[in-house]
This record gives sequence, structure tokens and C-alpha cells, in this order.
Amino acid sequence: MNTNLKISNVTKIYPGCIANDNISLEFESGKIYALLGENGAGKSTLVKILSGVIIPDEGEIFLNKNILKLNSPIDAKKNDIGMVFQHFNLFETLSVFENLIIDSEETPENLKEKIQLIMKKYNFSINLDVPVLNLSAGQKQKVEIIRCLIRNPKVLIMDEPTSVLTEQETSELFLSLKKFSEEKILIIYITHKLKEVMKLCDEVAVMRRGKLVSVSKIKDENIESLATKMVGQNLKTIKKKKSSISSSEQLIKVTDLNFTSEDPFETNLENINFSVNRGECLGIAGISGNGQSELFQILSGEIISDKNSIKFSNNFIGDLNPQERREYLMAFSPEDRLEQAAIPQMKIFENVALNNFKSSNFFNNGLINENRIKEHSKKIISDFNVNTDNIELKSQFLSGGNLQKLIIGRELITSPDLLICFNPTWGLDVGAINYIHETLIKINDQNKSIILISTDTDELLKLSDKISVIHKGKLSKIMSADEVTSEKLGILMGGGEID
Amino acid sequence: MIKIVKRDQPSRAIFFLTPVLAIFLTLVAGGLIFYILGFKPFEALKFFFIVPIADKYGFSELLLKATPLCLIAIGLSFCFKSNNWNIGAEGQLTFGAIVSGGVALLFYDQEGFYILPIVILAGAIGGMLYASIPAILKTYFNTNEILVSLMLVYVSKLILDYLVVGPWSNPEGFNFPETRQFSESARLPLLFEGLRIHAGIFLALAAVVISWFIFYKTYLGFQMKVSGFSLKTAKYAGYKGKKMIILVFLISGACAGLAGVGEITGPIGQLHREISPDYGFTAIIVAFLGRLNPVGIIFASLVVAITYLGAETAQIFMQIPKYTGQVFQGMILFFLLASDYLLFFKIKFIGSKK
Repeated sequence: MNTNLKISNVTKIYPGCIANDNISLEFESGKIYALLGENGAGKSTLVKILSGVIIPDEGEIFLNKNILKLNSPIDAKKNDIGMVFQHFNLFETLSVFENLIIDSEETPENLKEKIQLIMKKYNFSINLDVPVLNLSAGQKQKVEIIRCLIRNPKVLIMDEPTSVLTEQETSELFLSLKKFSEEKILIIYITHKLKEVMKLCDEVAVMRRGKLVSVSKIKDENIESLATKMVGQNLKTIKKKKSSISSSEQLIKVTDLNFTSEDPFETNLENINFSVNRGECLGIAGISGNGQSELFQILSGEIISDKNSIKFSNNFIGDLNPQERREYLMAFSPEDRLEQAAIPQMKIFENVALNNFKSSNFFNNGLINENRIKEHSKKIISDFNVNTDNIELKSQFLSGGNLQKLIIGRELITSPDLLICFNPTWGLDVGAINYIHETLIKINDQNKSIILISTDTDELLKLSDKISVIHKGKLSKIMSADEVTSEKLGILMGGGEID
Repeated sequence: MIKIVKRDQPSRAIFFLTPVLAIFLTLVAGGLIFYILGFKPFEALKFFFIVPIADKYGFSELLLKATPLCLIAIGLSFCFKSNNWNIGAEGQLTFGAIVSGGVALLFYDQEGFYILPIVILAGAIGGMLYASIPAILKTYFNTNEILVSLMLVYVSKLILDYLVVGPWSNPEGFNFPETRQFSESARLPLLFEGLRIHAGIFLALAAVVISWFIFYKTYLGFQMKVSGFSLKTAKYAGYKGKKMIILVFLISGACAGLAGVGEITGPIGQLHREISPDYGFTAIIVAFLGRLNPVGIIFASLVVAITYLGAETAQIFMQIPKYTGQVFQGMILFFLLASDYLLFFKIKFIGSKK
């Protein structure tokens, strides 16, 4: 049976901002729709309205000509609308199966059978008895998708589903989504990744600043036209100019680094060897959950390793903690902005004080030097284009892009010799991504080095001088960025061999 | 129509108002309970909350009860702020009292200005030693500090029991379960003739000032705050997590130990079985009612102290069991947790649209 979903004149106003301004859209099953827009364009608000999380101030929603009253997520579920959120709603300490059975009315046996069937059909392989906290981000996402599929939804809404997936995983997801679409599930795909829209979707609706800008068929659009509609200005493409004066002075050298975790679900690292010269960017590609997080923690000092395994500007630092490593001019930008790199409930200037660098004098003799921290914070905000002038603001009110600029700024303002960053543009909009990329290129130009651990292949190809791939805790040989293509990376990321 | 709306951010005003609301709701519910029991609600509440503190003696008793509550709650807030759930303050109080009592007994027939400082110090050290057990087990063996600290409470009470009926019992005490009286030099001085309020209150006030300074002005306080929000962030920032866990437990244990010293060298003057009417547990309520804020804790300790006094007055004048006091303490915590809902949601009264 065909499904028709209609949004009619929906408006949602927040104090000081119109999140959705009189939006009307119509969707038919059998097609995949993209909802495209930058962060803050209003697409999340719109899908939250569709999934009953937010109640609109005005406007109506119709499913197959019947008016829908969506007062809570339960109403959406009852009306066969399934939603996979960008941030996972899973209980970390419960097993996969326990997570799935929580909101299911079926008996455990039936449910298990159903899950096995779904996993088989769409080629998902997840151990149902493992606690969710041990899954990689990519696997957690699959659990969320399975959770929707169990209910045989008529409408499936995917909010930024690929931000944690690799290229291979993404194409697998696309195959699945196309399959769902053939099975007459109406798919609404929210993203700001233009390539994905071109590859996957049939029709695209673009939103900007709460307004619907255009609705069109994909075959009438191309990446540039969509980007222009989305951002509202012509984008300049940045391309790194290869450093001609590549320095031969080695900055960091990792030798025979091994890590065996006590937790069987973490990835062990095996015999990691690499070095980075001054002014270079080493990219580390890989499918999430292949040891990136462990590698980042070892490089940052959250996990202590053998003293001699890491040599940084002629000092052996493997046994130092992050704060001690910062004194040697290293800086770190972790993957998780909201739970690790910053504390949303704390003010901006307090978050700045997390990077406690001796010469910044944030703390004298154990006392907080608030004026010094505030002064420093103001400088970061202006130097790194963070869109606020209130350093007393709690950082939860910054958009993802602004928060990331604050974090990168905090790490860079001490002018470190090496920045280690992990998925620095995860979930950000085009404008913020461009800004971060430009910043990274700039610090390379200043003869500073970067280790960029990322699951975004385009980003790696754009920024790196050398690239290696991490697979099951092992690094591939290190290749010059000129000889690498995304196909080659894909093979290595999947565990294959290249000559 | 009433509508419940999620707040964009927890309101700061509400943050400090909900404790007041919780106290109000406790009074209402308490009045209702009295009514059901067949008392006049307003009269009963008057006996409970006003009569006990209406005179000088009553007020002194109020401060006497509030002192240990405040001191322990201040210590606990170090733990709670940094995500360490020490609920064994009662045990740390008891063990602090045992150690300082033991020292005081050594000097039972001596006088000297040096005795009291040694006795006080011994109490703090005793509390710290006892708090270090859950801290060390947590940092090095990954045990759960809630269970360990709680169970140790009962261990300490049994040790005290053994000592006062056994080796430390008063040789001239006709086998009563109590020790000798301490010498006057081991007693905290009384502040006013005829009133029981003693110098221990200055220890509590000093703890308030010092903790305020540490929480808001020092690097340690900042690290505690960060660890309280996210241990992952604390690790990323490079804070020495194990050191901090042990430190906050030691501070908390020292405060509880001092509270124990205050009890035995103040009003009691000897060790016996019942040195604390569960101050260590009640102080958990005080810490949260005071929002883990030093000044808030002063007010909270006064409010909760009234429930101890009120229960006694009510027992005398109205023949209500004194355990009513615990009912009131329980209700305060219950209503506080319930009204915390208002931190994140607001209630909107809106006229019907049509």
C-alpha cells in the first residue's frame, strides 16, 4: 500500500528564533526524500515534529489524508513513523537485546527471531548479548535502525545517519535504504552531505534559517546548485597546497607500540609504528571501532603506555598524562565534543580552563585566576570566530560548529607543535567544516604538525600529506597522499591488501 | 489548561527555591499526617517546629544538633560534587569518635591545655582512616564505594559496642556500657553557662568558610567540578583521578570524624553505645537540601536540626513517637527530589485558545 505524508503550514517558534516558518511538504512512498540544510536550518525541529518530540505552534500533519495528532513519540510509533536519531538513545550498560526488548510488546523468543531475520536480510552482524557500551558508533546506529524495523514502519526518518559510518558502511546502508524504499517504506533522509543526497535520493527539500528554500528532483540538481541553495552563498573550495618545503625534522615517532586491553570489546593495538615531521599532516583512516579511539587515548596520554614507545621532540613521553604532554607542546581534540572535549553545563571560560597549560597561568599556587582565563577565552572567541561574545554563556548553547571552533581554538591558542584530532568535523555543517579545515591547513603552513584520525575519507584526502589506514588495531604502511585514492583506502579499510 | 514545558536551561532561581518549596510541602504533608492521627494540624506543627526553639535553651539545642549535621554535610559535599558516593559518614563519625575517645581516655586523670587539640586531631585522623578504606578499595580494586562505605558503618558501630562493654568500659561503672568520663581538659568548652552549645560550632563554621573557598576559588575545586560532570573529561584534561578520589574521601572522613569528636567531647563527655542519632545519614539529606553549597548547607542543617528537636517535644507534649522526626526528614528528601522536576520543566497556565 502506498503511503502519503503531508506537512501543512507547520510553524514552530522559539524565543528569539523561528525554527520552522510555515513549512509545507508532501512525501509519497516509493521514493527517498532528502531534507537538506546546514546545522540550525530547522530540519531537526521539523523531524522532531514528525516524530512527536516537539509539538508545532501551528500547522497540521496528514498521513494518508488522515490528520495526525502527534503529542508524544508514542503517538508517532503508533502511527508507524520510525525515527533514527543522530545521537543514540541506547542504554549503554544493557545488552543489545535488552535495549531492543525494552519498548517491544513481543515475547523474547518472537523478538529474537524477528531481529535475526532483519539482520540476515540486511546483512547486519551484531552480537545481541554484548553491552551497548562496547559497540562502535557504527554498530550502535545499526541497533537503532533494527529497533525501528521491528515495528514495520510506514515512514522511516533517518537523521544524519552516516556521520559515524565509513564509506563501505555507508554504501551498505544505502542499499538497505533502497530496499526499504522498494518495500514501500517512505524514507526521509536528513543530512547536510551533498554527495549522499545525489547518490541516494530521488527528491530533495532544502531548508535555510527555518524556511523551505526549494523542493526539486535530484536529476535537476548538482552538488554546486544544492550547496548554493543550502548555504545561500557561493562556496569557495579549499584545496591544500602540498607543502613544497616539507621539513625533514622528525617531531613525533611512535615505535613498536602495543596495547592490550583488559576489556575484551576494546580493540588491541598491535605493533604501531609511524613518525610525523614538522609541518606535516598524517591522516589515519579506518572504519570506526578499529582501534582509533584506543590510539587517540594512547597518543593523548589518557592511556599510559611504555615510556619509550612515543618519542616527541627528543623526549620519551609514553608514560606521561595529558597535562604533562601539553607542556611538551602537544594538543588534543577528542571525538566526543559533548561528553569529553567540553562540558556543556559549564560556562565557556570554564571549558577553556580545561586545557591547563602552565604558561597560561590559569591557576596560580592552586588558586583559580579567573581574570586570566576570561581574557584568554575572549581571545579564543575572536581569533577562532566563535559566534558569541558572552564567555559566561554555558557551552551547551553553542551550536556544534561553534563548540568545535572553541575546542580547536582552546587547543591551538597555546601554539602547540602537534595537534592530534579525532573526527574534528563530525556532524558539523559545511560552513564550520570549511573553517576547521582552513584552520588545520593554516597550522600546517606554520610548520606545526597534525595527526588527523578520521572516518571521513574526503577530509583525509583533502588535508593529509601522508595517509595510513587502521584496521583491527594494525596500521597499514604509510602512503604519500598523492598516490592514494579513496578506492585504495576503501580496500585497506575493509582489511584488503594493495600492492 | 495546565501545560508542562521543558526548560531551555535549568533555572538558577529555581535551583535555590526548590529546597524552600520542599520544606513547605513537607509542612503541608506533615500537617495532613497529624490531622489523620487526630491532632490539630497547626497546633501539632507548632509543637514540632516553633515551641522547641522558642527559648534560649531551645535555640542552643538547635545549634547543638545543627553543628554535626553541617560539619558532616560540608565534608560529604566534597565527595558528592566530584561524583564519589560516600554514604558512610555515620561510620566515619563513629570511628573518629572511637579514636579520639581512646586518646581522651588515655588522659582521663590528667589536665592540660595540650589534651584537647590532640583529642580533636585524633578524631579527624580516625575519620580519615576509616574513609580511606572505601577510597582505596575504589581506586585500586574498582569496588563500589556506596556499598563499602555503607557496610563499614555497621562494622564501626559493632567495634564501638565491643569497646564500651569490653576493654574500655568504666571499671567503676557497674557494668553499664560506657567508658569513664573524660577529663575536663579533653572537653570542648561550653559557650554559655547553663546551655549545652559548645565550641564545636566554630569547627563547623570554619569548615563552611574553607569549603566555600576550595569549591569556588581553587584548582582543586575546579577539578572536582569537572570530575563531577564527566570523568572522561577529567581524564582528558589530565587530572589525577585516583589522587582526587582519595583526597575527597579523606576530607569527608575528617569532617565526619570531627563531628564525632564534637559529640563525645561536647555534650556527652564519654563513649557509649549511642553517640549519634544517625547524624551521618541525615547529613546526606542536609547536603542535598543545601544544594552542596556551603551557605545552603548552613540553612539546611538548621532546618533538619529542628526535626530532631520537634520530634522530642512532640513526644513529650503530644505522645507522638519521636520517630516522627525521621518521617519528616524522609519527607523533606522526597519532596526535594520531586520538586527538582521543576528544574528542568516549568508549568505553564494557559487560557484555552478557543
